Amino acid sequence: MSDRFKVEMYKIANRLKARMGARYKDQEEGFLAPDVIEEADKLIAQLCEISPDVIGKHLDNLSALWESMRDTPNSPERTETAEKIFTLSHEIKDMGSLCHYELIAYFAESLRDYIARTDLNLKAQVVTIQAHLDAMQICHRKGFRTDAGPEAEELKKMVKMAIDKYH
Amino acid sequence: MQNSLITINRYLLSIFKKKDLPYDLSNFTILVVEDSEHMQNLMASMLKVFGVGEILACANGIEAMDLLRVLQASKKSKYLTSVDIVLMDWLMPRGNGEQLLAWIRKSEKDAIRFLPVIVVSGYTTEYIATKSRDMGANETLVKPISGTNLARRICSVIDHPRPFIKSLDYFGPDRRRQNVGYKGRERRATPAEEVKVKNNV
Repeated sequence: MSDRFKVEMYKIANRLKARMGARYKDQEEGFLAPDVIEEADKLIAQLCEISPDVIGKHLDNLSALWESMRDTPNSPERTETAEKIFTLSHEIKDMGSLCHYELIAYFAESLRDYIARTDLNLKAQVVTIQAHLDAMQICHRKGFRTDAGPEAEELKKMVKMAIDKYH
Repeated sequence: MQNSLITINRYLLSIFKKKDLPYDLSNFTILVVEDSEHMQNLMASMLKVFGVGEILACANGIEAMDLLRVLQASKKSKYLTSVDIVLMDWLMPRGNGEQLLAWIRKSEKDAIRFLPVIVVSGYTTEYIATKSRDMGANETLVKPISGTNLARRICSVIDHPRPFIKSLDYFGPDRRRQNVGYKGRERRATPAEEVKVKNNV
């Protein structure tokens, strides 16, 4: 950028609209046909039908990853395993919130954010990660969906106690 | 008699003129960058039912950069189509959304740096929305996604191609979306003589 100008503004041609052809030239605001939006929502519903299985498999993988991390505290692959736990938790959170398993999504998000902190010692991890896993397994097994209500509060309290113990 | 025919014709013309058509995305190529296989499949399938002509998918930012280098090159095979819109997840291992967005906006190639980018974020806070906007994203879509939300973001990118702004610390679409009256002291404006305008890029 030259000294004379502090800001440059590029007024770009609307190539996307041009790509659709001349018939849309004068249309200010566009939309997609309601039936295709409905169809897209059906795809989400279809994915949600299999979501308990998907979440179940993710939880099994998460447990296996956690066991290997816990049992090999000096492994050079520890950081990589933590990253995998982070990614898997994030996926569970995405799937949970998409398919209205809010309580699992809540714990998955909490675990994702917890594992992202690198300054954790193993003792803290053993308690906290295990508490998250247990809570998610209970939600999955019992089919808890909402993140409100007495069961949800009880589980949240259990996980919070685990987190607070070392912080 | 003649007058009433003219009136009817005008009425019919006005009906046809007002009837907007749903967008036809069959000439579009959209790149989906998402590490989760299920989410990637879901987004690709949703775009397919929206009628998008070609949908490409990458599992991370590094893959997407490699693909964009080839597809957005000025000299390439006639069988390769350029990407029109990038739909990217924010949190991904190996080249996350933040790195990919920064790479796109810093590219020297116009075909890459001006690409419309829709960030899809699983973070529920406003942090990602603000961060991605400040890094040059055109739109942000907070998960969980829905047909309506995805369609709305795509239409917004088509309908409102904001001018791109290049300043010392920013390159991306103009972050001021609305041109509303503001009565307070102007704190953000750069004097007109210090703004260089390039038209029809």
